[in-house]
Amino acid sequence: MPYDALDFYDVDSLLTEEERMVRDMVRDFVDNEVLPKIEHACRDGVFPDEWREELGNMGVLGAPLEGYGCPGLSYAAYGVICRELERGDSGLRSFASVQGSLAMYPIWDFGSEDQKNHYLPKMASGEWIGCFGLTEPDYGSNPGDMITRAEDMGDHYLLNGAKMWITNGTNAQVAVVWAKLDGVIRGFIVEKDDEGFSAPEMKGKHSLKASVTSELVFQDCKIPKDRILPGVKGLRGPFSCLNNARYGISWGAIGAAQACFDSAREYALSRIQFEHPIASYQLVQNKLSWMLREITKAQLLAFHLSQKKDAGTWIPEHISLAKMNNVDIALEIARVARDIHGANGILDEYPVMRHMANLESVKTYEGTHDIHNLILGRHITGIQAFTRSIE
Amino acid sequence: MTIAVLLKQVPDTTARITVSGGMVDEAAVGKWSMSPYDEYALEYALQLKESGGDDLIAITCGPARASKILTDAAAVGADSLVHVLTEDSGMDSSNVQSLLAAAIRHVGADVVLCGKQAADTNAGSTGPGVASILGFTCVGMVSEVSTDADGFLAMRMSPSGNEKVSVSKPCLFAFDKASMEMRRPNVRGIMMAKKKAVESLTPTDLGVSLIDSRVSLESHSAPAEKPPGQKFEGASSVPTVVSKLRDEANVI
Amino acid sequence: MEVTIIAETTGDSLHPVTAQLVGAACSMDGTPTVICPGGIGAEEASSISGVNKVISAEGDCFDSFDSGAWANAISPLCEGVVMSSSSAHGREVLAQVAAIRQIPVIQDATGLGGGIRVTRPIYSGKAIETSVVSPPCAISVRQNSFESPGNEGSAEISTVNNSSDVGVSVREALAKANEKLDVSEADIIISGGRGMGDPSNFSHLYEIADVVGAAVGASRAAVDTWDEIPHGMQVGQTGKTVNPSLYIAVGISGAIQHLAGMRSSKYIVAINKDPDAPIFGVADYGIVSTWEEALPVLKDELAKL
Repeated sequence: MPYDALDFYDVDSLLTEEERMVRDMVRDFVDNEVLPKIEHACRDGVFPDEWREELGNMGVLGAPLEGYGCPGLSYAAYGVICRELERGDSGLRSFASVQGSLAMYPIWDFGSEDQKNHYLPKMASGEWIGCFGLTEPDYGSNPGDMITRAEDMGDHYLLNGAKMWITNGTNAQVAVVWAKLDGVIRGFIVEKDDEGFSAPEMKGKHSLKASVTSELVFQDCKIPKDRILPGVKGLRGPFSCLNNARYGISWGAIGAAQACFDSAREYALSRIQFEHPIASYQLVQNKLSWMLREITKAQLLAFHLSQKKDAGTWIPEHISLAKMNNVDIALEIARVARDIHGANGILDEYPVMRHMANLESVKTYEGTHDIHNLILGRHITGIQAFTRSIE
Repeated sequence: MTIAVLLKQVPDTTARITVSGGMVDEAAVGKWSMSPYDEYALEYALQLKESGGDDLIAITCGPARASKILTDAAAVGADSLVHVLTEDSGMDSSNVQSLLAAAIRHVGADVVLCGKQAADTNAGSTGPGVASILGFTCVGMVSEVSTDADGFLAMRMSPSGNEKVSVSKPCLFAFDKASMEMRRPNVRGIMMAKKKAVESLTPTDLGVSLIDSRVSLESHSAPAEKPPGQKFEGASSVPTVVSKLRDEANVI
Repeated sequence: MEVTIIAETTGDSLHPVTAQLVGAACSMDGTPTVICPGGIGAEEASSISGVNKVISAEGDCFDSFDSGAWANAISPLCEGVVMSSSSAHGREVLAQVAAIRQIPVIQDATGLGGGIRVTRPIYSGKAIETSVVSPPCAISVRQNSFESPGNEGSAEISTVNNSSDVGVSVREALAKANEKLDVSEADIIISGGRGMGDPSNFSHLYEIADVVGAAVGASRAAVDTWDEIPHGMQVGQTGKTVNPSLYIAVGISGAIQHLAGMRSSKYIVAINKDPDAPIFGVADYGIVSTWEEALPVLKDELAKL
């Protein structure tokens, strides 16, 4: 049965015809190729390779980038892609976010012409997977103090250090790694087979189980000189990547919330207790109408942000608000949906507990919920509250 | 080989159909889609084009909203798009056949693919009727078609199984459920589709004068409610249930 | 009122729908002439009560099925209201007869009244259309919508040789593939649950499936319990969602996850020995019985159809 998305205010009617066609294409992919396989992928802890291939075939990787084999779609279209993918699973959306916004984007924006020509077409087609190395075991919310270092050895760079929580890491052919060169953060392109580089997978996650998460380890890793990203220095590099990825997450979370709402509504209508469907009880209706309310607000927020993104009138704080709010309500909706499903909600016959566990990660990665609050706090007051030293 | 595929926009098969004032309420239809059997026809039309066809022209007959399915066809690879504009969605099949036949002549197609029936009217007259008007050989219940020497090989359902048949141009294939689903578009196709012009033609443009229908639609009604479930005791009730399935439910 | 019936044949004899077409014609006070394509079943047709004339339409074109050739050969013989079965072949020929004779065509009638008032399902049965048409016209009729009259007729048989050019040549006839139908594609599904007791007992379901061209499905309980029952057969929340015309649930209690996958089936039959099983809550026809007792009877009854 094709999926009929909750869109109470008909927000999708504000999209262009082309954006709606892209939506229908991704929706069809999720219905026919993701949902039938997702629970097995989670149980086995794998990201099915045919998904990578089909994302490449559809041409949605690096969607808003233009040239070098990328389609140059609007940011609204990119948002819709994220939403539809995450209706399937946050792990699937994470794959696309990391590939497009975190690995392809920095090469596209800060790379040399040779780097763009070499990497981007193969990444857009899905032939090469990319990952993004910023977070370290001891530096998450505070990436500026990272300890991974690059040393200029004359004819090459030498990388030393470790990155953690890296989506796609083990499967990636290309890693965009941020490291300090003479105390300044710079971006480096590391390839899978580079000497001194390894990417062991992190096992035992209770969340994003159909997504590969890895450590990146650099032990005297030799990098040719032409693999430094020439176009950016400092935290602006990784942060501009994160802005795009967070923007995608603000849409993606809506997809997960829609899936949970859909399942909860269906279940409530068919589950009979005390001789009537539980959907006929006021407590359940209250929960469903709250979900509808929050999803509708999140949709309007994401859509308006997409228009600002496409018009270039956005500021990073706009994205912080959307990422924080939409993930927050999606997680709460997943929890309430699980509640409506009763004991059945913990089974993998229903998508709700999977989304719930996934969204716990989504709430934390790409700027935790609290960090986004601090970003907004600084914007409101002009006082940064990340550290104890007031500058 | 110039290929035409006939497509119809219908309420999505999952859409709720409501009857109000004795008529199906089209305004209440939430989602319109390409008729499912037409999707199979389009897929095989694309395959014929890829195996040496010249142009693939997607043709629809219907109101303005129907042009959406032409854009969808362009996104998966149709070369040109023809929209026969008619406002009367309940038009007599004979008129639809005349219009489509004229459109096929207009584009010069010598092989035509279509669905065996549309998901709204469920009739199945259009394909064979168009073939008859054009003098094309008609093959129905098709599940596969491919080019062969100077003609085509098609697989069609027969009462005893399947038959592989050969036909030459000009011909028309009406598709049943086929072996392959319609392909999914990609972003490049979608972006190209936006740029493809739709040629809109009126019956006058096509030189067709519509005839007054000799079928007058009296009303639409909701189907009779199913009786509440019945429960029978013991295996001896099986013959009763089987006869109900045949005579009341009409499903076997 | 002249009525011309294009007989539906199966192998060397008439399909039962042919007699039902005669019944339909008589119900409209029509005077039916039956055309037997290829001369098949002409004797049989002449014995159907109410038939006025039988035309045995002979010609080389009837050796294989080419709807255009058949229509060309048959249409000069047609008069008044032309009727056929709404089978795939029936519709295809009738649509072309109508186009040749330039008469309106209505397919798949399930009811006929004076006037001629035709009712037929549209939108896959989600609505019923009623329209009025006058002769000459063409109408195909759905099987089992009309009673067959008796066999007391003795209509005169005339033979016409009216062949036409054939454009479709059959290269190869392939018998019905013996491969198992997939539940997501079948119009009839018979599913077994853990109540089947042992996976080997699914053979009884396959035997019935063969009789009616059904697919065999299973509940999650059966799939999880027995390795022999593959996940591809599973109907339900995490299996396939199906909506066939007929769903027969055998030894399935009807957990909410199973119902989610099959409750939109048009008709549901449940066979379960527990009269309180929730599956009876969604069944149109429930049979309280063990499968051991019910299935052999079901198989025999279906084979008789």
